[in-house]
Amino acid sequence: MNGTLSNPFNITYPTAVQTSLVSGASFAKFDPTGRFVAGGRPDGSAVIWDLGTKAPIRWLEGHVKGVTSVDWSRNSRYVLTSSKDWNICIWDMASDLDPPLPHSTIRFDSPVASASFHPRNSKILLVLLSVGESYIVDLRKEHRGRYELVETQEESDEEGQMNKPRAAMTVARFDPTGKHVFVGTSAASILVFNARTRTMIARHKLPGAGSMKGLEFTKGGRRLVTNSSDRILRQFNVPIYSNPTTGGEIVEQELEPTYRFNDPINRNPWHAMSYSPDGEWLAGGAADNAQHKIYVWDIANEGQFASALDGGPEPLLHVHWHPHKPCIASTTNHGNILIWHCPTPERWGAFAGGFEEVDENVEYEEREDEFDIEDGDVLVQRKMKEEEEEIDIEGLDGNAQAAPDHARVQTGDDDEDVAWALEEPDEDNREWRMRIVIEDEE
Amino acid sequence: MKFSPDGTMLATASADKLLKIWNAEDGQILHTLSGHTEGISDLAWSPDGEFLATASDDKTIRLWNIESVSTVKVLKGHTNFVFCLNFNPQSNLLVSGGFDESVRIWDIARGRTMKTLPAHSDPVTAVTFNHDGTLIASCSMDGLIRIWDTDSGQCLKTLVDDDNPICSHIEFTPNSKFILASTQDSTIRLWNTQTSRCVKTYTGHINRTYCLFAGFAPGKRHIVSGSEDAKVYIWDLQKRHIVQVLEGHRDVVIAVAAHPTRPLIASASMEKDLTVRVWEDSNISAG
Repeated sequence: MNGTLSNPFNITYPTAVQTSLVSGASFAKFDPTGRFVAGGRPDGSAVIWDLGTKAPIRWLEGHVKGVTSVDWSRNSRYVLTSSKDWNICIWDMASDLDPPLPHSTIRFDSPVASASFHPRNSKILLVLLSVGESYIVDLRKEHRGRYELVETQEESDEEGQMNKPRAAMTVARFDPTGKHVFVGTSAASILVFNARTRTMIARHKLPGAGSMKGLEFTKGGRRLVTNSSDRILRQFNVPIYSNPTTGGEIVEQELEPTYRFNDPINRNPWHAMSYSPDGEWLAGGAADNAQHKIYVWDIANEGQFASALDGGPEPLLHVHWHPHKPCIASTTNHGNILIWHCPTPERWGAFAGGFEEVDENVEYEEREDEFDIEDGDVLVQRKMKEEEEEIDIEGLDGNAQAAPDHARVQTGDDDEDVAWALEEPDEDNREWRMRIVIEDEE
Repeated sequence: MKFSPDGTMLATASADKLLKIWNAEDGQILHTLSGHTEGISDLAWSPDGEFLATASDDKTIRLWNIESVSTVKVLKGHTNFVFCLNFNPQSNLLVSGGFDESVRIWDIARGRTMKTLPAHSDPVTAVTFNHDGTLIASCSMDGLIRIWDTDSGQCLKTLVDDDNPICSHIEFTPNSKFILASTQDSTIRLWNTQTSRCVKTYTGHINRTYCLFAGFAPGKRHIVSGSEDAKVYIWDLQKRHIVQVLEGHRDVVIAVAAHPTRPLIASASMEKDLTVRVWEDSNISAG
């Protein structure tokens, strides 16, 4: 909203640290509204910050070992935490309990490396275990179950490799539509599964990439960037997959990266990366042991390197871009969450009504009729006439209304996969409210 | 005086230091809350319906929990009378203005001032958030209306009329593109915040001495305001003419409140009258 008054420029990237949230966290993620930040801590708790007040509002204590990932449901009502203690906890932010208790806990037989909600239904989870297996966990009554995603071996050398162990899965993500699951393996490949049928539909090899460390999509899901042990971030255009019921063939395809990003000087590996909301910028958090560096690339401009943000001496562990603002949350290894923003200089001219600030001297040209004395009645009449114009006090601008919606991915709702995901919907409607918990005075 | 967000209750606060909560249906007093040591100038319901806040001449703001009917926080910080306040739509921030000429942004959960804006050079008479909480507008007896960025606390714009009349009340339109401002030259103006131009003026009532409340009537197609001639005036939003005058009060109608869903208007009057009247639009379809 204030964009229309204050900032005539489009979204760019943040340039300065606005605040540091001391939270003992090892990573931090914005919620889809951008009002909150969730930080996961190595001691097994998670903390939710309100960015409006810059204060911690919830402590989620449900694990006995380090939290490995957090995820927000699409309207931020549910929060998921996964941990090295073999558990996943799901928290309901609309609950009145203080301190909050997990809404449900799901136990596995090995440490959980990461977990996330299905983008359309928080009752479907994607879970990656540290032993290299990934599962789709369906919590709905009709579909309840735990299904492993199994890589189908290549046909040509099936016989010879029957006994060979499968490559470990190292990263697993839903794409933004929720139709597909992308899994990165230790053997430099990306496997694509259909989320509903859980069958593998494609395998993409990335020669020379080594073990996959991370996967991120743009909001629309058209592009993805990978992080791998060869210290290069690769961006790909996501191919369009046919429906598994009609095709059946597994797509074997090498993907050619559209861009490769690396640190040419220090050859630093990357901890994490995140796209800007419009997908035009990519931020990469460098795994540098001595400093806190975020590299920003301009995707719209042929992937050119744009800037390196210096966040001080505390090394970086994680970065995450705000869902709709030029704002980044980066986490330091001291547990501080740095919130980056675009500072706007104070415009003193704004204090004086009817005045405008200029950067340099302007030769003022008097209008021909500027000091003409006009009849008061004429002025009043003209004013009255101007006021006849109809005004709209309720309708919002097109883009203001689209703002909360542009996170939503355009897909036909008649789609089978979508229909499947929308069965037994969760209660994550937009109207829920985070209750304000009044802090006791100490 | 304001209706609760769900419209079931009406809260009133006054110079007798008391906060009263009424049943909006039958006019029964549900609760009378005391705590302030001086008169109360303004009150606000939090949009989530959990809290009420009152601004008092004892320089404090009290935050009341509606369910437990008790004070949960006393916000101290203003150095003079607190005159006006409002919640943001997320209900986590409160903005207040007072006779110390500043605007303060409060963190409700912690009860602390987050920011103090050196807003005006005269007492601040009204402060409000826009529909998504990113902007704050304030107005003052110095005749200026200022728009602020909630996040940074920076002034984004100042709206000023040529004659500089004392500005007594402001309200954003539901889409935040306009600001409805009452001034003590017996005029209500609708300002376009983007172009800084006055797009509509409403006249006919009398407002020269008090800070009267004005607002959008239920249905958002009319403007309603109290008046110093003991009447309530209703204008057509677009055409700017008076469509109705409600008579019945015997003194200045200082406050009016519009029901959030039903065609009801409540009005409150001063010394000689001291009543709250609730008006119903019997011809609903006309609204």
